[in-house]
Amino acid sequence: MTVVEERPPPARGRVLAPAVSGQELVLVGVIAVLWVLLAFTTPAFLTAGSIQPLLVEVAPVAVMGVGMTLVIISAGIDVSVGATMMVCGVITAKLLVDADVPLLLALVVAVAVGAVLGTLNGVLIAYGRVHAIIITFGTANLFLFLGLQIFGSQTVNGIPGTLAFFGRGAEGRFLGIPHSFLLTVAIAAVAWWYLRHSVGGRHLYAIGGNAVAARLAGVRVQRRVLLAYVITGALVGLAAVFTVAKGTSTLDQSIGTGRELAVIAATVIGGTSIVGGRGSVLGTVLGALLVQTVSSGVTQLNWPSQLSDLFVGIFVIVAVGADLIRQRPFNRRPLNRRRAR
Amino acid sequence: MRARRVTAALATCLVAALALSACTTKNDEPAAGGSGGAPKARTVAFVPKLQGIPYFEAMNTGGKKAAAELGLNWLYQGPTQADAAAQTQIVRSYIQQGVDVLVVAPNDPNSMAPVLAEAAGKGIKVMTSDTDAPSSVREAFVNQATADGIGKGLTDSLLTAMGGAGKYAIVSCGETAENLNSWIAVQKAYTAEKYPGAQIVDIVYAGEDQAKATQMATDLMNAHPDLTGLVGECTSSAPGVAQAVKDAGKIGKVFTVGLGTPQSMKAYLADGSSSASILWDVEQLGYLTAWAGLQLADGKAFQASNNVNAQLPAVKWDSASKMLLLGDPLVISKDNVDKFNY
Repeated sequence: MTVVEERPPPARGRVLAPAVSGQELVLVGVIAVLWVLLAFTTPAFLTAGSIQPLLVEVAPVAVMGVGMTLVIISAGIDVSVGATMMVCGVITAKLLVDADVPLLLALVVAVAVGAVLGTLNGVLIAYGRVHAIIITFGTANLFLFLGLQIFGSQTVNGIPGTLAFFGRGAEGRFLGIPHSFLLTVAIAAVAWWYLRHSVGGRHLYAIGGNAVAARLAGVRVQRRVLLAYVITGALVGLAAVFTVAKGTSTLDQSIGTGRELAVIAATVIGGTSIVGGRGSVLGTVLGALLVQTVSSGVTQLNWPSQLSDLFVGIFVIVAVGADLIRQRPFNRRPLNRRRAR
Repeated sequence: MRARRVTAALATCLVAALALSACTTKNDEPAAGGSGGAPKARTVAFVPKLQGIPYFEAMNTGGKKAAAELGLNWLYQGPTQADAAAQTQIVRSYIQQGVDVLVVAPNDPNSMAPVLAEAAGKGIKVMTSDTDAPSSVREAFVNQATADGIGKGLTDSLLTAMGGAGKYAIVSCGETAENLNSWIAVQKAYTAEKYPGAQIVDIVYAGEDQAKATQMATDLMNAHPDLTGLVGECTSSAPGVAQAVKDAGKIGKVFTVGLGTPQSMKAYLADGSSSASILWDVEQLGYLTAWAGLQLADGKAFQASNNVNAQLPAVKWDSASKMLLLGDPLVISKDNVDKFNY
C-alpha cells in the first residue's frame, strides 16, 4: 500500500531553517533561568557592576567563535586560535608601548596579523588537503614559538590606556554596554546574514555537508574554505585587542592559553555540529555567554572554582548528544524533507 | 593532481618541522664565554621550572652577574612549558655534559629525585633552588623566603591597608601548587590569630591565567559587597586583582596585595589599586644560587652565616635542613618599585 505523499511546494523561505533554531531558544531559556536564579541567590549578579565585566569577558570568545563557527560549519576546525591570539596580542602590546600607536592603527595591525596567520592555515588546509586539525595543531606550535620569540623572555610592561575604549572601565561602554560586546554583536549579525542569505554562506554549509557533492555542484570549495580561516584569523586579531584592552598594564605569556578550547566549547554548545554542515553564529554567542555565566556564577555563589569546568563539560556533552539525536532522524528522512540548517 | 601531492608533501614536511621545532628548546648562551672559557672555571648549570618568564630570567641575570664576578661558567636552560618530563631531559643532557654543579627548580620533586641521584652518582654536585625536592640527594636548597615570612608579610601588608579588620578573599593560581598552598595555610592561621576582626571569605583558583584572575576578582567583589581586601597569590593574579579593583572604581574601598613582579605592579602601586607587593630580590636569588654552586664545587662548607656579597652580607645556613635562606621577603611599594628592572 502506498501513501501518496504530498510534495511540499518548493516555496521560497521553506528552504531555510527557521531564523532561530530550537537549540538557540533552549540556550536563551537556560541563560535566562540562570540569570534569574543567580539574581536571587547572590548579592549582586544581576547588577551593572557584574554584568558589564561579564560581557567584556564574553566578547573575545564570542567574536572568535563567529569565525570558528564558519570553520566548523565547513567541516574544519582551528586549534591555533590561542596561539594566533598570543602573536596578535604581543604585537599589539609592543606597538602600544614602544611606538605609542593610536587605537585604530593597533586594531588594524592586529586584525591584519591575524588574517595573515589565518591565510597560512587556510592555504595549507584548502590546497594541502591535510585534515584541518593536523595543520592547525602544527601551526599552533609555530605561532606559539613566534609569539614567545616576540615576547623575548620578558613580559610587556607599562601598556598605556590607549585601548580603554574596549576595556573593562567606564570609558569602554556606550549606554552601559561594553563597546567590545556591541562590536561582537554587530559582527555576529553580519555573519548571521552571510551564512543565511549569501551564496558564500550557503556554500559553507554545502561543503560541510558533503565537500565532494559541493564541488560537483560547482562550489569553489577551496576558496570558500580558505576564506573561512582568513576570517577566523582576522577575528582572533580583534579578540586579541579586546583581551589586551581588558587585561592589566602588563601582558604576560599566558595570553591565548587554552582559548581554542573555550572557543570550540562555545561553538559546540551553541549547536554547531562538530562534523560540519550545521550551525549558527547566534548559538555560538549564546554558548559563550552561557559558559561565562556559569563561571561567574560559580565564583559568586562561593562554590569551588573547578565546578565551572565540570558544568562546561556537561554542556558540551549534552550539546553534542542533542546534535546526534537531531542528526539521526535527519538521515532517515526522505531527501525532499531534508532541510539545510 | 601532482601539484596537490606536492602541496600535501610540503604540508607534511612543515608539520614535521614544526613538531621538531616544538621539541627543541632554545639554548641560552652560557654567560661566561661557554666552551671557550678557562679550563679551570667551575661550571654551574641551572634548570628552572620553565624559561622565558621574567621571574626566572631575573634569576638568570643574577646568576650571570655572579659568574662574571666569581669566575665560573653559568649555564641556564629550562623547558618552554612547566613540564616535568621536558625538564628531566634537560637535566639529563647536563649530566651528559659533565657539569660540576647541577641546580634544579623542579616542576615535580618526586620525578626529579631519581635523576638527581643519577647525577650525584656521576660525581656531580646537586642542588635545588627556588623550589625544593626535599626527599632527593640534593646537598643544598637555596630558599627565597620561608612560607611563614611570605604568609605573614602578605597578611600584615593587606590588613594594614584594610585598617586591621574586614573581609578579604584570595585569588590563588594552581590548585595543587605546594608553595602557594603553604603560604595560604600561614595566611589563614596568622589572620585568625593576629587579626580577630578579619576574615577570609573565599579562596578561588585561576590557574596561571591573568585574565581569569581578573574576572574572578570582579566576581568576588560582587559576591561579597562588603569585601575590602583581595590577595593575588602569584605573579599572574597579583596584577589581575588590582586591575579588577581599578575597573570597578573601588580604589580606596577594596585593597589588594599580592606576589607580583615589580614592573608588572608598578602602575597599580602608583594609582593605589595595589597597596604592596610581597616578593624577594629575584636577581639576588640567582646570585646566591650561583655562589652556592661554586662553594659546593670547591668543596667548601657553608657557615651558619655567610657573607656572599655587599647586598647579601649574612645569608643563613640551616645545616639540619641543608637550606640557605635568602632573607626576609621584600615589601615592594610605590616608593621602591623603581629599583627593580624586572
